[in-house]
Amino acid sequence: MTGKSILVVDDGITIRLFYRDVLEAAGFTVAEAANGVEGLERALLDRFDLMIVDVNMPKMNGYELVRQVRDDPALRSIPIVTISTEEKEEDALRAYRAGANLYVVKPVRPDELAATARLLTGGAA
Amino acid sequence: MSNALLARFIPEARDLLQSSASGLLRLEKSPADATAINEVFRAVHTLKGSSGLFDAVALTRLVHAAEDLLGEVRSAQRELDSDLVDMLLDSLDQVSAWIDHLERHERLPDDADRVCKAAVGRLRDRLAPAEAPASSDPPAEEKPAAEIGWIADMAEADRLALFSDAARGHPVLAVHYVPAETCFYNGEDPFGLVLQVPGLGALDVVTREPWPPLEELDPYRCNLAFRLLASGARVEVEHLFRYVSDEVRIDQVAPDALIRLAGAPAPGPLPVVEDFAEEARACLERRDWAALRTATAALLALTNPELSTASALRWLDAVSAAPFPNAAHAAALIEAVATGEPPRLGSADVEPPRPVLATLRPRPGTVPADARDAASGDVEALARRIVAAQRCVLAEAQALDRVRAHVGAVATVLARLLPGRADDGLCARIAAAARVAETDGDAGPLLDLLGTLDDATDGGTAAATTVAPGTASVVPAPGADASAGEAARDERGAARMLKVDQAKVDLLMNLIGELVVSKNSLPFLARRAEHIHGSREMAREIKDQYAVIDRLAQEMQGAIMQVRMLPVSEVFDRFPRLVRDLARKLEKRIDLVVEGEDTAADKTIIEALGDPLLHVVRNAIDHGIEPPAERRAAGKPEQATIVLKASQEADHVAIEVRDDGRGIDPAKVRAAAVAKGVVDAGAAEALSDQEAIRLIFRPGFSTAAKVSDLSGRGVGLDVVLTTVEKLGGRVAVTSRSGEGTTVRIAMPLSMAVTRVMVVEVGGEPYGIPMDIIAETVRVPRERIKTIKQAPAFVLRDTVVPLLRLARTLGCGTAAADVAAEAVLVCRIGGAPIGLVVDNFREGMDVILKPFDGVLAGMRGFSGTALLGDGHVLLVLDLKELL
Repeated sequence: MTGKSILVVDDGITIRLFYRDVLEAAGFTVAEAANGVEGLERALLDRFDLMIVDVNMPKMNGYELVRQVRDDPALRSIPIVTISTEEKEEDALRAYRAGANLYVVKPVRPDELAATARLLTGGAA
Repeated sequence: MSNALLARFIPEARDLLQSSASGLLRLEKSPADATAINEVFRAVHTLKGSSGLFDAVALTRLVHAAEDLLGEVRSAQRELDSDLVDMLLDSLDQVSAWIDHLERHERLPDDADRVCKAAVGRLRDRLAPAEAPASSDPPAEEKPAAEIGWIADMAEADRLALFSDAARGHPVLAVHYVPAETCFYNGEDPFGLVLQVPGLGALDVVTREPWPPLEELDPYRCNLAFRLLASGARVEVEHLFRYVSDEVRIDQVAPDALIRLAGAPAPGPLPVVEDFAEEARACLERRDWAALRTATAALLALTNPELSTASALRWLDAVSAAPFPNAAHAAALIEAVATGEPPRLGSADVEPPRPVLATLRPRPGTVPADARDAASGDVEALARRIVAAQRCVLAEAQALDRVRAHVGAVATVLARLLPGRADDGLCARIAAAARVAETDGDAGPLLDLLGTLDDATDGGTAAATTVAPGTASVVPAPGADASAGEAARDERGAARMLKVDQAKVDLLMNLIGELVVSKNSLPFLARRAEHIHGSREMAREIKDQYAVIDRLAQEMQGAIMQVRMLPVSEVFDRFPRLVRDLARKLEKRIDLVVEGEDTAADKTIIEALGDPLLHVVRNAIDHGIEPPAERRAAGKPEQATIVLKASQEADHVAIEVRDDGRGIDPAKVRAAAVAKGVVDAGAAEALSDQEAIRLIFRPGFSTAAKVSDLSGRGVGLDVVLTTVEKLGGRVAVTSRSGEGTTVRIAMPLSMAVTRVMVVEVGGEPYGIPMDIIAETVRVPRERIKTIKQAPAFVLRDTVVPLLRLARTLGCGTAAADVAAEAVLVCRIGGAPIGLVVDNFREGMDVILKPFDGVLAGMRGFSGTALLGDGHVLLVLDLKELL
């Protein structure tokens, strides 16, 4: 166990299970939220070492969630990875402008997801 | 394949398909419905994302094509017409069929690739022509492969088109394919293969060695090689070449590698070029791309198209037309125009930090099978990419004046990444600069420090990759233990909705059923305690406990019923599509109005409702609704209306199918029934109009002159009646000629508990379902008359024929000499009938279990129920029996 916790925010239940499988196998504790609103609630509830956020979500999309996290002094220093199916530069730029630390294009390989999580949480690689 | 993941995916996919389909239908009705288009788009988008986790490339591709089309509809580039809806619905149907197949076989059917190709082709044909086959794949490397010499040999027009695609995010692939000399013997068709490359943009066929003299030429030896550029998705290209992966090299090409000037240099200084260069530099300074394009077009019109100057102008136009024009490229091209020299591209250092696409994609050939090794091999490259991304985040934050909000997370990331990767002094200075940025809101010093870091560490990781077959799709987590995942699920972030396997609920239901029945034995126990053991005290205590258990059991039963309740929308949801399709087929115009879809009933009932409703609705569309011309002639609106309405009434749910069609003509029904031998002429005349209309539910009846392919199919409405009645429901039909027909189906809310009346016949108890019993009466012997050679009695002016249940069941009767007969008046199919039994006993709720095993074929019984004292009660199915 790395003792690090990660909040996964994605509206796809299968995707969430996939992230959970991968990240738990890598020793992380994983929490889930199904949209931006839930994600923000969860983030306020617990202290997370990393957030992995889908861009396209109902209620509050990923960009908006990132923006709101960055606007909250208690949350703003949590690194955030945004994940999207859009591979266009402008989408990446949007995420970086919102304050995401990394923009990743789906689908994500399990090993690289785990490696990214380890790097960004400071967990042992 | 992880079964847990797949098991989670399948229901999700079905939900998403259902909501996309219903959203599409809403959209077709009201194309401006922004909520609907967003909903459909999101559902399809999520489905695409989830499906990408599985080795179901065909499915993902098809969904992706549908998403692209929907994307155009959403951004209002495209009208959503009925044909498009049809096409999209067909695609969703195909996906749905594949989901079924995935569920059973954990893979797609063998023909999936072929089917996908055809379906995707149809969808792509509808995409805007400017859209090259959109790629589902990001570039495999953010740094494209090194210069590939032959790219410059490709026609400029082709390169320009590819450049424009690349600028819109479709990566350009350079494919070099050298087929084996013996390939023809393997039945390969290299040229055919090449022509299938998705998004093929430019092709050059070359010889590997000079052609030998004709007499030495071996025509069976392949001497060709292919060079091509494509804007297709990498995985698709890799998939295409999967059988010859060692003969092909696929590189991603940077857009600027396409910029190579064609044509001869200008013989002398061209007029107005100096003016142009000046103006163009000014436009570039202002980043006024539109003005730059205008100036470019003006000069291009004056320039000989054969000259390299014209080529440079054409490239300048292409660069400025990109969504994210590259200023360095534009500057280099302007200078090329001015000087007549080839442009000096690729000076990346003059550029501000660009967004970094950390594309975590499989890199076949570079990724060993073991994920841990792979991760450690790539980790340093990944770390560099992340650091580069932080530069981008900071630069953007600086521009947006959001440094204070964003720098904290950047600092966190750097503090986690850098130690061990950069020297300690630099780490400390970076940390200090981050603190400054946080307090002052100025990220300048931090950006400078990161710049030095970047130069020191970023050697670039450009690597050409070869295709490795079978590695294109993402495999689920290595060693991920599904059960461990499940167990940890509730630790944090408990799910609010639970998706439970139907079988588990059924099991719980059965167990509660058993509990209800076992608790019924307590009153018997109390009675025994009192009468046999003489302990009143004990009997009372048992009864008290019984009351408690009884209440709990009932509450449990109520709770589990609630779990099993489904809204009728489960059934109703398929009708908008059905009505639409049938109406189009029959060229009728029909508006379907659905009401009360939130009404809930037990799952079994809801599921059983589908078929009967389908029949009724089909019948309404086929026979009830008139063609538009006929409706117009009758003074009705051309658009017919069918109302599908559910409501809860006391203990049953009522479903109404109401149409405003031509109605049912009782005279025609009578005639048809007589002609078909359903009833004889006399009987038909004796029927009231409403009774005559009910004849349509008789087996063998169909008023349609010819069997249509919709509601015909050899089965009539009689099937509706039998299905509904088997479930304890009723069907009523009312119709006014010329005004329409209403079919009303009433179903019990739940079938889990059946209320029966226990009667005694020949000394044995039998259960009779309460819902068909109208009343119980004791008829004095003298009131029983023989009418038409059969016993009957008159109950409030109605003649009720009598039937001895003992005789029907073939057992003796215990009470032959009573003064009054116990008669159960039942209603079966409308007409009352009196059943003579030996005695009435109590009514009770029982859990009805159908016969199984050798008894399954028994007719006349709907099943058995266990009584509290352990006896088995046979429950009669009077409809069968009589």
